[in-house]
Amino acid sequence: MTTSFETFLLLSPEITLFLAALIAYLAAAFSGFQAGWLIAVTGLGIAISLSGSQPESGATISSGPITIDGFSFYIRLLTYTAGLMLALVQSGDYWKAAVQDNDAEERRRVTGEEAGTFLILLVGLSLVGLANDLVLFFIGLELVSIPTYILLALKRTDAAGQEASLKYFFLSLVASALFLYSVVCLYGLGGSTSLPAIGNQLQSLGCTVAPISAGSITVGTITISMAAVLLPVTLGMAFAGAAFRMAAVPMHFYAPDVYEGTSTSNTALLSTLPKIAGVVMLSRLIALAIPPVGSPQNSGPVAETLLLQSWQVIAILAAITMTVGNCMALLQNNLRRLFACSSIAHAGYLLVGLAALAAAATDRRGPLGGESIEETALSLNGLGSTLFYLATYVVATIGFFGGLTYLGHRWPEWSTSSDKQPQLEEIKTVDDLNGLSSTNPIAAFCLATFLLSLMGIPPLAGFWGKLSLVTSSLSVDSGIAVFGDRKAWFIGLSVVLVLNAAIAAAYYLRLITAMYFKSTDKGVQADGGLSSGLAMIACLIVLVSISIRPQGLFNSALQAGNTLSGTLVTETMALFTTNTSTTSNMLIREEIENGIR
Amino acid sequence: MPLVGAGIVWLVSSRGLQAVRTSAATTAVLTLVATGLLILRYLMSDEALSNQVFAMASLPWLTGGIFNIHLSIGLDGLSLWLFGLSALLSLTAIFVSWEAVTERAAGFYMLLLVLEAAMLGVFVARDIILFYVFFEFTLVPLFFLIGIWGHDERRKAALTFFIYTLAGSVVAFLGLMTIVLWNATHTGSITFDIDMLTTGLSAHPLPMDADGGYLQWLVFLALLIGFAIKVPIFPFHTWLPLAHVEAPTGGSVDLAGVLLKIGIYGFLRFSMPMLPEATAVAAPWLFAVGAFGIIYGALVALVQQDLKRLIAYSSVSHMGYVVMGLFALEPVAIEGANLQLINHGLSSAGLFAMVGMLYERFHTRSIQSLGGIAKKAPWLTTLFMLFTFSSIGLPGLNGFVGEFLILTGSFQRAWTGVSPNFQQSYLIFSLMGVFGVVLGAWYMLWAVERVFFGNSRLPPSYSINGAQNSLDLRWHEIAAISPLAIFILWIGITPAIFLAPPSQSIRVMTYASSNAFNRNMQPTKSFFGTEMITEKNKINSHIDLPEIFLTSQKQSPVKQ
Repeated sequence: MTTSFETFLLLSPEITLFLAALIAYLAAAFSGFQAGWLIAVTGLGIAISLSGSQPESGATISSGPITIDGFSFYIRLLTYTAGLMLALVQSGDYWKAAVQDNDAEERRRVTGEEAGTFLILLVGLSLVGLANDLVLFFIGLELVSIPTYILLALKRTDAAGQEASLKYFFLSLVASALFLYSVVCLYGLGGSTSLPAIGNQLQSLGCTVAPISAGSITVGTITISMAAVLLPVTLGMAFAGAAFRMAAVPMHFYAPDVYEGTSTSNTALLSTLPKIAGVVMLSRLIALAIPPVGSPQNSGPVAETLLLQSWQVIAILAAITMTVGNCMALLQNNLRRLFACSSIAHAGYLLVGLAALAAAATDRRGPLGGESIEETALSLNGLGSTLFYLATYVVATIGFFGGLTYLGHRWPEWSTSSDKQPQLEEIKTVDDLNGLSSTNPIAAFCLATFLLSLMGIPPLAGFWGKLSLVTSSLSVDSGIAVFGDRKAWFIGLSVVLVLNAAIAAAYYLRLITAMYFKSTDKGVQADGGLSSGLAMIACLIVLVSISIRPQGLFNSALQAGNTLSGTLVTETMALFTTNTSTTSNMLIREEIENGIR
Repeated sequence: MPLVGAGIVWLVSSRGLQAVRTSAATTAVLTLVATGLLILRYLMSDEALSNQVFAMASLPWLTGGIFNIHLSIGLDGLSLWLFGLSALLSLTAIFVSWEAVTERAAGFYMLLLVLEAAMLGVFVARDIILFYVFFEFTLVPLFFLIGIWGHDERRKAALTFFIYTLAGSVVAFLGLMTIVLWNATHTGSITFDIDMLTTGLSAHPLPMDADGGYLQWLVFLALLIGFAIKVPIFPFHTWLPLAHVEAPTGGSVDLAGVLLKIGIYGFLRFSMPMLPEATAVAAPWLFAVGAFGIIYGALVALVQQDLKRLIAYSSVSHMGYVVMGLFALEPVAIEGANLQLINHGLSSAGLFAMVGMLYERFHTRSIQSLGGIAKKAPWLTTLFMLFTFSSIGLPGLNGFVGEFLILTGSFQRAWTGVSPNFQQSYLIFSLMGVFGVVLGAWYMLWAVERVFFGNSRLPPSYSINGAQNSLDLRWHEIAAISPLAIFILWIGITPAIFLAPPSQSIRVMTYASSNAFNRNMQPTKSFFGTEMITEKNKINSHIDLPEIFLTSQKQSPVKQ
């Protein structure tokens, strides 16, 4: 673990952000500098430009505890882009506060600290993606969690806000502790804190032991039987930790309360950034059992067991999560609660791709599938599609909450000529959106587009995401389905996914119905600040460009996914873009036509 | 092109109603002209003779991994007339809304044009994902059209329509993706191109047996659910009357005229050529369902008091004919069904448009409160009668040709094409179809009689509207429906022109299915000792065609 100058160079975006955070803190504390968010946005801009370009799926630059490969690059860029949008949304909150509160001096200082805390959160998330080492991985996760507590507590000071932040704090601590336990177990299994070393160990575990007699020793003092005990514990704990971050069943129950209790802009944060962390946690874990790109070697029984258990557990959890989230959302009337439930459902969709990743990996290497590489290479990389879906989800969600923050409050009545200032109502429930298309058509259009995308209506970005998820799930063992086999599992999972998409349409459409088909006598204040409006428009532009031309993002996600799943994308491409059987197809066609004549 | 038009409408939206209407109508007219030219070029080209796909353009859209999705479009015989119909009916929809929609008009016409783009897209898409994108995207503009400009129950109608159809099409989507993956696994080439998938699947059919997990069955069922809801086939029709009644006239015209056809088009394009064995086994059941749909739709229509609802149920009945014709798996019947799609598009769109006109004048659609309109508005009545006759299949008009061919094909199938066990039921179902014609004439003529003739029973709102010059047709209404009337007469008089171009590609599409069906019916030959199905019949079933089609097939490309 040498830390060299190179490490610093590779970490330059994170270091920039950290410095920006420090400046924001210091400026807020000493000079009362107002524009903490300005620093944040600038820092993010520099950080994104420093990130460079995505490495090929085979190429990995490792230095000390960090590694930069296609995957971590994707996560980093996604984090920073999402962070940029979120910073705009969050600063909208500040503007709103500045307009409303008289105690502007106080608010300013808080804002500087908020911006700094937020930047540290982003650094943490990026480190999670970059970490090549269990310790750094865990530190990154904590750097995500702790600023989140602070942000939650800073934003709202009423009882509901405090309840929310406290609830999140305690539950998150439990989740972190559980994950820490699985980290310990991994260390026990692998004998190292370095992820590649653990991976190697796991893959070779059991391979070197030809005759499994009385508890034969593979490495150190670990026996196969002990691995068999440790493995489920590790997986269970890690799943619990990741499920909390993603708000997936069974760790989902906090989401509606916490989301409802915090501010709209924090909801945007909570429903996106921790999800990214959760996806990274699970995918890194699964990837431990997959040999690196181009490796001829097969993984041993322990790694196989890991994959087997993880895809089964994830698939079941995915189905339950989607269904629970969507069914709960049908009953909600509060917008933030509704989106909490919908974010649970989306966590379920994300898990589908991870299940496909684990299953496809088993298939390729292990004793279960036994099919040739050509056939299995057909299966779309599940991780790639999850990452792709994650991006489309993040854009639409941030855009939606940006819009809500921008709208802010509404007048109790449309035209009040009374003397006293009317009491503004915060937009909270679905009914508060009534008639938005006439009071604020641009915002209504943007929100409707985000909702349609989350629904998965073609040709919007969400559709491409769902398309790739369904494809990756269906393409596991894309041969013959035999009931009881895992092909049937994944067909079932796909059916659950698409039916859930239809259920989800019901409650998303309720919002659109409210905005477009209902009328209202209340006006919209739109006091959420211009910057959140800007975030909304920016998200719309990104979303529409992904919709029209999904290729770029998709390739990038696929490359990122292939880095971890050990598939060489170039091979697959070369094999299948040449339509070898075109001529034979034509022959058959002619034959048919001749037969008819 | 309509999309560009929608953009223009948005730009001129600040200039007031007139500018919006004019630009929308201009766009639609230009689109129609372009479509017409394209169709003419197709008919004159070599592709029409050799049944190739014409005007093919292809751009990669999403490739990489397992995706090989292209933005590829092209016309062939099957999509030709439906393509034209979409352009025609969009114009109609714009003209019938001329006076009816004045509130938020820019949005309305924009959505109509977006809908037109999506409808045209469905029929020209040559890529399975592109097809699906357009297939689903038609929902969005129509959802807003119904929800914003609809009648009293519009919110419920829009939601029901959207969710019901969406639930069906996502299941169909799974089926389509399974097809792609199967093809990729077994031919080794990843393609989303519809033609290549068709050929790929005919070389490597999906398994029907338990070893293969009944995969073909599952896929067929998935597609069936999606397309049957869209059509809608009898038990899945419940969204239709609601959506139709609540939709604004322009929306109803597009909905009845084009969107119902997409489901049938899907059967012809995907289920039949790609899943022939499953189609063949399911065909008798769907044939029966079609027959039941005819009778059911007709009987329900008979008791309706609301004129629009009556026409909506008549659509269910007519779609029953199309389904019956389709799953008779007899080339004559399928060609008839294909023509009937156009016919129904023309006549029901015309009827919905005219009901909309009546509603504008009298603010009611109730059959009871109308009467004696013929005296006040002779032209309106004449055209309504024309569409009615077309709908009930009066000889000389288009409806007759389609229904005749469907019933001919069905009886032909019943007498010569099925095993004796099935023969009786096939005969009964075909007779039900005939009976449906009678019922159709009954409910339509009865309604016409009550609304247009008899004592003048005009509702009070008549006097308010009476301030206008006349009750008869206005110029934009004539512009809306006269093209439909012209095509109704044209198809009625020279159906060969319209039957010939699709004929070849329909045969290619359905060959596999009919062949499989005939094979299923084969064993009974030895059982009864009679030559139920000749070898000739099995392979070369077009021998049975009436002479007219054979000649038209040879002549028509030359003639035009």
